Parts: sequence; C-alpha cells; structure tokens
Amino acid sequence: MNRLTGITANPLLIALVLIAALLFLGDALSPGFASGSQILRLLIVAALLGIVAAGQNLVILGGREGIDLSVGGVVSLSAIVAGNVMNGMDGGIPLAILACVATGALFGLFNGLGVTLLRIPPLVMTLGMLGVLQGLLVVIRQGIPSGRAAPALSEFVTRPFLFGLPGIIWLWIGVGLLMAFILHRTVFGQRVYAIGSNERAAFMAGVPVRRMRIALFMLSGVFAAIAGLCLLGYSGSSFANVGEQYMLPSIIAVVFGGTPLSGGKGGYTGTMAGAVLLVVLQSILTTINIDESGRQMVFGATLLVLMLFYGRGRGLRA
Amino acid sequence: MTKLKLSGVSKAYGATLALRRGDLELDSGEVHVLIGANGSGKSTLCKIVAGSVRPDAGEVLLDGRAVTVSGPRAAQALGIGIFYQELSLADHRSVAENICLPDLPRQNGLFIDRTALRAEAERYIALFETVAGAALQADTIVGDLRADQRQLVEIMKALATEAPILIFDEPTSALDRAQVDRFFEILRDLKSKGRSIVFISHRMDEIFAIGDRVTVIRDGETVGTTTISETSPDAVIHMMVGEQETLATPQAAPPIHAPSTDIALKVEGLTGAGFHEVSFAVGRGEILGLGGLHGQGQSAILKALFGAVAPRSGEVKLAGERLRIDSPRSAIAQGLAYVSGDRGRDGVISGRPILENVTPIHALRNRLLLARPGRLAEKALPALKALNTKFAGLSHSIGSLSGGNQQKIVIARWLIDKPDILLLDDPTKGIDLSAKADLFALIRELAAEGLAIVLYSSEDAELLNNADRILVFNGGSVSRELSGAERTRYNLYQAAYEAA
Amino acid sequence: MTTNASLTAHDSGLRRLLGRFPFLPALFILAVLLILNGIFEPNSLSFRSLTGLVRTYMALMLLAVAQTYVVYAADIDLSVGAIASLVNVTIIVLMQHMGGGGLSVLAALGVGVLVGLACGLVNGFVVAALRLQAIVATFATSIFFTGLALVILPVAGMPAPTVFWRTYGGSFFGIPFVFYAAATLAILLYLLARTRLATQLLAVGDGQQAAFQSGLPVTAIRIGGYALCGVFAALAAFCITGDTASGDPLVGAKMTLFSVAAVVLGGSALSGGFGTVAGSVIAALIIGLINSLVFFAGTPSHWQNFVQGLAILAALMVGVLVSRRGRA
Repeated sequence: MNRLTGITANPLLIALVLIAALLFLGDALSPGFASGSQILRLLIVAALLGIVAAGQNLVILGGREGIDLSVGGVVSLSAIVAGNVMNGMDGGIPLAILACVATGALFGLFNGLGVTLLRIPPLVMTLGMLGVLQGLLVVIRQGIPSGRAAPALSEFVTRPFLFGLPGIIWLWIGVGLLMAFILHRTVFGQRVYAIGSNERAAFMAGVPVRRMRIALFMLSGVFAAIAGLCLLGYSGSSFANVGEQYMLPSIIAVVFGGTPLSGGKGGYTGTMAGAVLLVVLQSILTTINIDESGRQMVFGATLLVLMLFYGRGRGLRA
Repeated sequence: MTKLKLSGVSKAYGATLALRRGDLELDSGEVHVLIGANGSGKSTLCKIVAGSVRPDAGEVLLDGRAVTVSGPRAAQALGIGIFYQELSLADHRSVAENICLPDLPRQNGLFIDRTALRAEAERYIALFETVAGAALQADTIVGDLRADQRQLVEIMKALATEAPILIFDEPTSALDRAQVDRFFEILRDLKSKGRSIVFISHRMDEIFAIGDRVTVIRDGETVGTTTISETSPDAVIHMMVGEQETLATPQAAPPIHAPSTDIALKVEGLTGAGFHEVSFAVGRGEILGLGGLHGQGQSAILKALFGAVAPRSGEVKLAGERLRIDSPRSAIAQGLAYVSGDRGRDGVISGRPILENVTPIHALRNRLLLARPGRLAEKALPALKALNTKFAGLSHSIGSLSGGNQQKIVIARWLIDKPDILLLDDPTKGIDLSAKADLFALIRELAAEGLAIVLYSSEDAELLNNADRILVFNGGSVSRELSGAERTRYNLYQAAYEAA
Repeated sequence: MTTNASLTAHDSGLRRLLGRFPFLPALFILAVLLILNGIFEPNSLSFRSLTGLVRTYMALMLLAVAQTYVVYAADIDLSVGAIASLVNVTIIVLMQHMGGGGLSVLAALGVGVLVGLACGLVNGFVVAALRLQAIVATFATSIFFTGLALVILPVAGMPAPTVFWRTYGGSFFGIPFVFYAAATLAILLYLLARTRLATQLLAVGDGQQAAFQSGLPVTAIRIGGYALCGVFAALAAFCITGDTASGDPLVGAKMTLFSVAAVVLGGSALSGGFGTVAGSVIAALIIGLINSLVFFAGTPSHWQNFVQGLAILAALMVGVLVSRRGRA
C-alpha cells in the first residue's frame, strides 16, 4: 500500500532512534551535550512542551480537523494568573493551581462551545480565541504587575525532587501515565478514538459527540494552563507572550509522535517522544556554532525531512 | 472485433481481495453488461480500466496492443470514459463546468472560454432535455440538484469525453423510468456508431433491454460470458449465485405468529423528512417487515425512531409510554437498537480493535467508566459467538475482517445487553450469503426471546422469508399491509409499483 | 403549512444569493463598520483617512488573496507571512545594492516576484507532491524562509529608496497610487477568476478523489495554487515595503494568521471548494476597520487589542454561520 508502511508502523521507535542519533551527533559536535545534567535540562524543557502537547493531542485525536491554536495564549495567561495569585509566596500555590485550571478550562469551554454549538471550524475558533487571549494579556499587564513564582514552585520545576529528577519530570511522567490510562483503559478514551475515526458511527452508538468534543477542548485548556504554571516556575517571573512558542511546536510534537492531524489514531507515548525530539533538535542547533539565520534554515529543513518519516498522505491512485 | 480485452486482472486492498481474476472482452459496437452481487469486484474492474485503481496483476489489451493505464488522464487519452457509481462531481461547481471538467475549453491559452464551455455543455444537457427537469441548466450549481439529476450530470460528463470506450457503473440507480428510457436511446445510438459500452445494473429488466452480451462476476472472479438473446434471467441468476442458489429462492413463509396483544412499539402519525403520517404497531416477538421500492421512506423512518434525525410531528410509544427521543443516545437508553446497512458510514468504528467495536453499547447502558479488556472480552465473546463471527483476535482492527464479519461485529454490539426493540435498516446490504443466513437465524431467535423487530430490506426474498407482517411503503407512507397468506411476491410487487 | 412553504422559499432564495455571492455577509459587516466609524469619528470617512486605511491594509488584502487560492483547494499556507518577509528584505537589499534608482526598483520587484513564486513552488512540492500535512509542512517552510530572510538582512532597519515609498504613498493626477494598485488588483483578480486554474483549484477542493478520477492533474493544480499564493505574498511584500519604507526580516510573521482569518471571514470554506477572493479582500478591510473603530471609539489603549480580538472573533463567527447557510 505504501512503501513507507514498514517504517511508519512505529512512530515511537522512529522518534527514539532519532533522539539517540541526535544526542550522539550533539555530543560529537560539542562534547558534554549528552551529559546527564544537559539531558536533564532538555527534559525539563521537553516536559513543558509535552504537557501542552497532551491537550493538543487529545483535541487532534478527536478528529474533525480538531486543533487548538489558542494553547499558547492560555499558557501565557495562566503564567500571569499564577504569578499574581501566589506572588512569590508558597502559601499561594494551591490557590494558584486552582485559578490556572479554572482559567484553562474556561477558555477550553469557550472553544468547545464555538466548535460544537456554532460549528465553527476548530482552526478558526481557536485562532480567534488566540487573538482574544493576546488582547487580554495586554490588558492584564497594564493593570497589574506580572507577579513572581513561589520559591517552592521554582524548586519543583528546576531542582532535583526524587531520584535526582526534578518534580516537573515526575509530573510529566504522571501526565504520560494518566494519558495512557485515559486513552486505553477508560470508556472516555475509547470514545475519543471513536469520534476521531468515525464520528457518525460513534454518534449512532450513543456517544455524546458534542460533550466529548467540549471536554477535549477543556482538557486542552487545562493542560496548557498547567504548563503555564510550570513555565512560571521555570523562568521565575512571567513575561509577555511566553506561551507563543508552544502553539505550533505542540502540534508538531503530536505529529512527530505519530498522531496524524486527521485524528482517530496515535497516542500520547509517541507525542512525549516527539516533544523530546523537537527539543533536542532545537538544542543541537543552539549548540553548534552558526548564527540565528542558519539555525532557522536548518531547523525548518530538518522538520520537513523528519515529516517524511511519518505518515505521508495517501496517494490518489488506489 | 475485440476493442478491449482484460485477462487475469487482480487487485487486493491489504488483506481483502477485491478482484481475484477479472476477464472481459469488449467488442466494438456492443453494450456489454457486467453483473454480479455487491462486492463481487465489478467496480474495481471498471476502475482499473479507467486508470483510477492500479491493478496488482493482469493484462489490458486495447485494439490488440498491451497498454498500461497509468491514471484517469491516461485512460482518457487512450479513449476510455467512465461513469463512477459514487459520482465524480464537484458539488460547488456548475453543471457546465462539471460536464467539461476533464478538459475545460480555453481561449488565449489561459482563460476558460465561457461561450464554448456553455455550448459544449448544452449539447449534452439537450440530450436529456425532456426528462431532466427544469432545474438542470448549464449554470445550475450541482449541489442544488436532486439525486437523479446529479446522476444525469455524471452521465453527461462521461458522454462528453466522446471516448470510443464508455463504462457505466450503475448509472441508473436513481433514475426514473423515462430517464432510463432516454438514456437507453442514447446508448443505442452510440452503439450504432461503433462505440463500445460497459454497462452495470442490478435491474434484470434493464439488462435484458439494453445488453448484447453479459459477463458474470462472482466473488472477484469472472464466471463466464453469454449472449443476452440466448439466455434468461434465471440462467443469469444461476451463474451469479453458483451452487448456493437455494438461498436466493423464497422458502415457504414462516409460521404466522398470532397477532400479539403485547404491543412493544406504537408509532402514530409520524411525519418527517421523507415520510408522512406513518402509523403502525409492533408486538413483542414479532418481526415487522418494511417493504416497497428503495427509498420510499423506510430507512428514514427507522432513523427517526432511533433519534438520528428529528421527526416533525407524531408520537412514538414504547410499551404504552410516550418516548422522547432526541438522539441515538436517548433511544439506546430507552431500549432501542439500530443496525444500518451502510456499515462503513453508520456502524464500523474504522481502524479500531474488534473489542472496541463490540462494546460501546454495553459501556453506555451500564454507564461504565473503565474499559477493562478482560472483562469486556468476557461480555463480547458470547455475542460474537452467537453470530458465528470469524476473527483472529479481539485486539485486531475491525478493518482486517470481511464485510459480512464487520457487520456481525456491529450487530453483536446489541446482543450483550438486549434491547426491547431492534430496528434493522437493510442490514444485509453487501454481505455474503452465509453471513446473511447466520444473521436471519439470529433475528428469529431474538424474536422468539420476545424482542420486537422492525426489518427493512431491499431484498424482497428476505422480507417474505422472515417477516410476520409486511408494511409496503410508497412515496413516504404505508400503502398496504400484508399479513398471513397475503405475503406473496406478487402482492408485494403490486403494492410497491401501484402508485409509482 | 403555507407559512412553512414560504419560509423555505425565502430560505432557498437567501441560500442561492449566498451561494452566488458568498462575500455578502462580509460586505454587510463592512458597511456597518464604515457607518460606525463615521458615527464615532466623522473624519474617518474622509478621502484622506480611507486612503490611509487602504494603504495600510493593502498588504493584508493581498496576503488574504494569496491564502484564498490555496484554501480553494482545501490546502492552507502558514508561510505566507514568512514569504512576505523574505521578499521584503530581498527587494530592500537589492534596491540598496543597485543604487536605488527607478530601474533598480523595477529589477528588484521582478526578482521579488520570482522569489515569491519559488517559495510557493517549494510549498506546493512539499504539500502536494511529497504529501505532507499542509499545516505542519508550511509551518516548517515558514521557519526556513524566515531563516533565509535573516541571512539576507540580519536586523531590521535598512531603508527603502525614496523613490519607492514616495511612489507608494504618492498621488498621480490627484488620485493616490494605492487606488491605482487596487484597481489593478481588481482587474487581475477578475482575470484570474476566469482562468482554468481557478476553476480546477475549486474542483480539487470540492473533492480531491473525484477531481483525480475526472482526469484532473491534481498534484500540478495544487502546486499551481501554492505558486499563485507565493506570487501574491510577494505583491503583499511590495505594499509592506511601501508602507513601512524599510526592511524587516520578521515583518510578515504576525500577518499569517490574519490572512487565514480574512479568508474565513470573507465567506470561503476552509474545507475547500467554495469561496471568492473578493470576500477575502473585503474581510481584510474589515479587520482594518475594526482596528480603527476600536481606536476611534475611544477604547483605552491597553484595552484595544482585547476589544479587537473579541470583535474579530465575533465577526468570524457571524461570517461562518451566515455563509454556511449558502452551502448547507
């Protein structure tokens, strides 16, 4: 059927092999690149991206051109909200978490309602929402200071927590397990795949398609908000549009993880590898001694080449 | 003189063998009928000739020379035009643009010559002027046309290729009598001009009206070719079904149930898109058949009962209580079940494991949160066994199964937690004979257990063999009810064709 | 029963109208916005102000047109902004190197169009021939094009030759240059709408498989759409350059998503097969008018982005909801 079938069969394997190859390459180009501390640093960055990509993955799996372009805006907003709620104090963390989750869920709800009730294509709906969020950020920054991360949060994200790994890595592992559980061991997960692969059949089998889709967008918002919270811990204080860098990379991580944008198949384990792959690639490019322009060109071209490994569309002639 | 010769052409999609060994000899100036059951490989054969499917093996000879049809464009260049069963129309383009789409007339190299486009299209529209209806004009948007008019546009599009070889894959399925007659006149004219025509239809009368020769395909293999004037419909059917003919001839009607007093489902004055003022009642243990010509509202009313489309007015009562059904979800909760014949669209959750395809209803009715494969398998296996489903493992993709087994999986969904009412919407469409036999055995069993069953089938024999009562639909409402000894093929035909 | 029937008749009349002129809702929104602008600031409807509006939003109009041609075929191009940036710096550097005279400007513009065309061909090759998913593939090419723009001009700021921006901002025979440009664009769009490519793109968008089975060279047609998109992105870059009078390797980045929004707002379907470039042009003006209305309505400056965002989202919803009725 497809000459590439043999390779595309296991996207997780491709991603892992590519990661290993890139680490070797990086270490050869700049000794110490693949050292333990460096890898840990990469994993922290990948965890942030990976958590955003978890929500993105769910929305994409649900099919019907599902995509969430507003995640970047939610990440930024949540970082500001968290920074202001905790304002450098550990005691504010629980409330900050609550506020972030609520924020993410709220904007996810808006997206979900627009997509299901008004039947606006997800790309358009979330794109419009991104504009609203960016405007909101300007408003908020004007009125209030950007806020600071609580020390405990920063420690959780950057300092070793358990077995030498920082808390955020454990959080990410937890997200990975949770996603695997949701997708493969719950009825909800089966329904995600069902609406993604044949929405009408799912509807006829009694799946509440609309509510499912709204839930997926809300989960996407929540995951983005959690990532925003962690990002605040990572950088100490929030700054304008910190989240923007996650919008399209979160989609690419999903695609590199073997979930096609058409939805219905794939999973989160691959996406985790996809996020690491993307971060390692970016990191190599910052390590080698070329200027920004060359780095971008190599990055763009490499992304294209990597995409060739993952499911190409079907040919027109059967 | 042989214009086109196919020998030993085959095609497989993954594990499914769509065409095992297709042979065909097409002469100049003949209408060559291709016949075979659904899924026997006719369309695949046509698409290989037309270049849109790449054959795995076999030889195509055109005018005695071996050719490779590398794509639809190459086919057109070789003089092959085709009518696609699923139509190849662009819904938002005009009739004229669609007719000329393969080769839009140009002026100054770059621009579309609107005048020439119109003139060209008008020539083909004029062929059907008397029967096409007023809406079919050169600048009408195709998406605004009725199903039969769209089919006519696809015919015009095929004719406009002016190809020496024309293939028509079920061109008449939505056409009315007058449209078919006009189309046949055109075909006869083309034939007299030496064109070679392949014609596919399921209507035996059409085949004998227009065909010169007939080639029969069974299970992906060419069985034989005979001259139409030297054969009979019975002989053709015999070739189509092979040794399994017993199932195609009606058996004695099943024993008549005493009209059940225990009413399970009562429909009163139900009106909606495609049906109006329909009333009936089904008793427990009864199999109520819906009959009549295809598309007379039978399917629409079943979908409405199941909540997939909203009816405009009327009332549905389940065991005396008024039903509020606004979605399949609520219908399922109230004990209804629905099996569609269009399993690819309505039934199969493609690409997912067999287990996930069997258990969604069980999960819904028991409000399950967790999907434990072991426990679900315990529930799924007996249901699958009841239907003699053949599969390698519950974790295999449903796509790895044959059409009949896929449909069994979809039906098995409803057997874990039994519903009260089973709505069957042409459930055997495109599945093989043994699967049909398994299915009907099960349906009778379910009725015996006390389920009320409403069965629509496009095959009269299935209704006559299985239904206790038959409501004949015509133009969206019930035109006659046949029960007891009235259930004969003659009565069924008469009621179906009465007002049509 | 009769009310029902007349309702359906009325409905189908609206449907047909929307089917023929999918940009009508956008045109309506545009008119409302013009009136609102006039109420809040009568001066905003002056010839001068409108000239300024067109001058500023000409680039977005052209980018929206560029995006429309790929959306026709159910594709998408997230690199239009990057292409515009690349062309912007290319022509700036070329004009600078060749002395900034009239001839050098023309030569640079010629090269600019070729660069846009080349970028479009790359996108088309990657999406249609290699069959990569359009959203992610054109995002990757946008990174590549941005890198290329950074090679050509590492930092923003190189000025455009005086003759260039004077022409763009100037008037001839009392009519501002941008109106000549707009008229030329209108003629160009009219001619393009009559080409085979435009119809074929829409047919591909209606159903790739059906178009292929009809014998259309689907891959070549989609590449053609991307090529056309690249050329229009280059034209947009000329307007950006005329408006900003300088080179900036990141100038177009923010405009990509606006171009997608404009296409949808203009009544075209992202799923392909249906739409008009006129709608996209109008929608680009709507986005411009929303921005100016928010300003004229006296919104506090830090609220402006938020209100603009809300207004654009609302307009998108209205656009999608109304234009769907033309197709349902």
